[in-house]
Amino acid sequence: MANKLIGEMNLHKRISNIFAARNIITAKDALSMTEFELMELLDIGIKEIQSAVKLISEAASPPCLSAQSLLEQKVENEYLSGHLPTHLKGLDSALCGGIPFGVVTELVGPPGIGKSQFCMKLALSASFPKAYGGLDGRVIYIDVESKFSSRRVIEMGLKSFPEVFHLKGMAQEMAGRILVLRPTSLSDFTDSIQELKESILQNQVKLLVIDSMTALLSGENNPGAQRQQHQLGWHISFLKSLAEFARIPIVVTNQVRSQNRDETSQYSFQAKLKDGCQEHTRTYDSHLVAALGINWAHAVTIRLVLEAKSGERIIKVAKSPMSPPLAFPFHITSGGISLLSDEGTELKGPGINNIHARGHSDMINFNGDCL
Amino acid sequence: MAPLKHLEMENPIIDACFRDFCSSHGILTVEDFLLHDIYELAALAERQENADRLKEGITVMLSLIEVKCRPWLNGMELLEDMQRSKHTLSSGDKETDSLLQGGLREGQLTELVGPSSSGKTQFCMQAAASVAEKQDGSVFYIDTGNSFSARRIAQFICGSSDAAALRKRVLSRISCHTVYDIYTMFDTLQGLEVALRSQVQKNVNEYRLRLLIVDSISSLITPILGGSGSQGRALMVALGYLLKKLAHEHNIAILVTNHTVGAGESGKTKPALGETWKSIPHVRLMLSRDNRNSNCTISILKHTSMPSGQTVKTTMTRNDNQQYL
Amino acid sequence: METSRLPLSSSIRGKLISAGYTSLSSISSVSSTDLARDVNITESEAFEILKMANQVTCSGSSSLINGAKNAWDMLNEEEALPHITTSCSDLDKILGGGISCSDVTEIGGVPGIGKTQIGIQLSVNVQIPREFGGLGGKAIYIDTEGSFMVERALQIAEACVEDMEEYTGYMHKHFKASQVQMKPKDILENIFYFRVCSYTEQIALVNHLDKFISENKDVKVVIVDSITFHFRQDFDDLAQRTRVLSEMALKFMKLAKKFSLAVVLLNQVTTKYTEGSFQLALALGDSWSHSCTNRVILYWNGDERYAYIDKSPSLPSASASYTVTSRGLRNSSSSSKRVKMM
Repeated sequence: MANKLIGEMNLHKRISNIFAARNIITAKDALSMTEFELMELLDIGIKEIQSAVKLISEAASPPCLSAQSLLEQKVENEYLSGHLPTHLKGLDSALCGGIPFGVVTELVGPPGIGKSQFCMKLALSASFPKAYGGLDGRVIYIDVESKFSSRRVIEMGLKSFPEVFHLKGMAQEMAGRILVLRPTSLSDFTDSIQELKESILQNQVKLLVIDSMTALLSGENNPGAQRQQHQLGWHISFLKSLAEFARIPIVVTNQVRSQNRDETSQYSFQAKLKDGCQEHTRTYDSHLVAALGINWAHAVTIRLVLEAKSGERIIKVAKSPMSPPLAFPFHITSGGISLLSDEGTELKGPGINNIHARGHSDMINFNGDCL
Repeated sequence: MAPLKHLEMENPIIDACFRDFCSSHGILTVEDFLLHDIYELAALAERQENADRLKEGITVMLSLIEVKCRPWLNGMELLEDMQRSKHTLSSGDKETDSLLQGGLREGQLTELVGPSSSGKTQFCMQAAASVAEKQDGSVFYIDTGNSFSARRIAQFICGSSDAAALRKRVLSRISCHTVYDIYTMFDTLQGLEVALRSQVQKNVNEYRLRLLIVDSISSLITPILGGSGSQGRALMVALGYLLKKLAHEHNIAILVTNHTVGAGESGKTKPALGETWKSIPHVRLMLSRDNRNSNCTISILKHTSMPSGQTVKTTMTRNDNQQYL
Repeated sequence: METSRLPLSSSIRGKLISAGYTSLSSISSVSSTDLARDVNITESEAFEILKMANQVTCSGSSSLINGAKNAWDMLNEEEALPHITTSCSDLDKILGGGISCSDVTEIGGVPGIGKTQIGIQLSVNVQIPREFGGLGGKAIYIDTEGSFMVERALQIAEACVEDMEEYTGYMHKHFKASQVQMKPKDILENIFYFRVCSYTEQIALVNHLDKFISENKDVKVVIVDSITFHFRQDFDDLAQRTRVLSEMALKFMKLAKKFSLAVVLLNQVTTKYTEGSFQLALALGDSWSHSCTNRVILYWNGDERYAYIDKSPSLPSASASYTVTSRGLRNSSSSSKRVKMM
């Protein structure tokens, strides 16, 4: 929409020629300037500029849908109204069916907690035919840290979905639907996902997994956080628009980092309100935060936090527009992740965003073990 | 002033001959006339046949120009004018009045600078209420951000007896206009000027306009300032001069608000609108609010008759000043 | 140089000035044919210029001082202005009844605090019919991030209808009240949803809203979720961004005033280094913070979500707590003493 050509809108011929003469060809060029600047640049009076901008804006505006038709579209066109079941009952009911289509879902947690396991299982279940709860399509798995192991995937499949996997040749075919990419650098990744945009619909891709986003950025030796934030900005927009355009779920994993001492989480007026409220307690182990910054945190629609607390692993729905903040204990078995209890405990307060890693060092890294 | 031929109607001396003579020397408009060397022109006129008529024409031109230009005033006259017609208006806040030796002065353009939510709009509304109530004048409030609240102004009125009638009287002296771009602003001010001039002629003295508030001028100027051309800055300067002219000719105090922008990595804030704007207001005040309590500090950045740097603390609370029904 | 103030193209302006027409009175005293000939422009252009110059000198004068809207009339209007409830009575109380119409309100907070929830709640609540104390209007939801989940809107709409039915049921005992006609489907039908994918589309849509709302006069709230997203990453030239954003802000103000609707802009946060430490502040910079009428900041206080009125021309600074439940925004259970006035 932004790249609509001015020449193709119903502007008066004389005016569109003037625009073209000054190299203002697309709607984006015209609307990136204020009306005043356009007036000066194009040497036309304000009334003409205003009517030209009105026409350009009308042509470049996105179409209007009512929320009802949005819902109807979802119900009609999408499998399970646009959700990919995770086969974890508690989580699926909390997320109204599963990982939603069209948005970016983030998995964040300390190393070794089970993010890649979760992703691999999700990739597998997406490749199943619809009768078995899958999306009957291909999966693109962008594996930055080389954690993907097809053997593990098949093992998970055999243990969790025996009825599917014991059919002849099913295992091979399912595993074959998962395409693994291993980009070596950020620019490599950028090129791949740009190419993906065209081929996603053609090749029936139904799920995109990026494991992990943080590793891609930390691999670059960029000077300073600002540059990194800016680069990330483009990727955020692109991934979101890709998810929406193709109506597929995108799952991204993120790592944790320790919080700087300088980072406070207060507004300027909060100093004033201090006398009435509780002190923000800083315990020893709540010094981990999700990497990739606050911009990224704003941009993802659903955030699932995996953490370890007193020897127990917990998965929390930290940010979701449609679920209360629930936490479920889980463990990793040979069949992948499974919930220990389907009844989540509701966590109030900002604690849902805290990431604990205590008592975690003695957890076995399942990956390294089985091979 | 227009091209020379338009002057013919009222001044028949400036006829076609005169105009031809002028155009032969490259003079087509009054401005060209002014830029040309008058003595040289007179000398050249001598050489022509109708020298006397031409010289008469030149004299008439000069007198016309003199009529248009502003009268000379000497210091005594200025002082008298100041004492007679340019009073100080209380801003409604005692500490500010003491800082400014009386308050807002008529004939001057006062600028109030401050970061967001520091209380600029509150200050403006308080000043409007004070002038309308205590100084028997009317107030013209130009609002660019939908922040004019009649209810809040009513809270600033603190008369003791007959509250409702007083409120009605005071509030009807404040008129509010919403303006969302610079050209509409010029139109509004132009219309105001015409209205004031006609009022002067009719000598209507009821509720003379005493205070003009623009809240905030920076939101009108920021979209046009900067960029590739300098027309934005020219418009800003033109606006400043128009305001000052209005203030001086009609004895109005003008209060405008401006916001602050960050100045690089040092984290210090400075007023928006740049260097050119700095010299336009007569008085510049900086308002800052302490977040820990409701104290505001007003400091003088620039004043025509006081040293800068003086500050005063004042409490501008956001609570109701009094209950009313 | 009064002519330089006219909104003309720079070349025509230059021609006028060099031909000697430096004041508006000189222009208005001449006919359009003469002007066209003198200045070397077309007759239609001359006609336009004359119209512009005369408009000011003739019409504006009397209405300005005598018949203009004064504060007394506006007081009555202001008190009659409707407010859109947020379904959380504590929040409504500090907002003076809810989000006020004819104002641009900015709501900002950290991720996960509930900005989108408030947006969806408002787009449902604006439709509450007049018999139940609402505005009976429609909503425009401009989604720049894709965070509008229509299932959630359905949940909130259903809860709203249930509340209305409960209210009617209660009233029914005493008098015959009308049956609730609204169904959740109707509520969703009245939310106009726009998905904006770049800042160009965002600017185009804001320009186009004037025409859209003239055609759909029932729209009473415009929610933009979030105003920041595209401007944060795609704009390289910050000075240009400031100019474009301030122009957009003025357009929103104009829309709010012209159609008497509420404009709600949801904003993200960023960390800023001020006064020797990092603090949270709303995104888009200092200039943007002056572009709204009211500002509400959502923050965590202990275990509860709070809303703080940071900027308002007529409301005192106060904070109140709220929670997000499956039915939408509601009072928090421990709300008895939570409304703190400054």
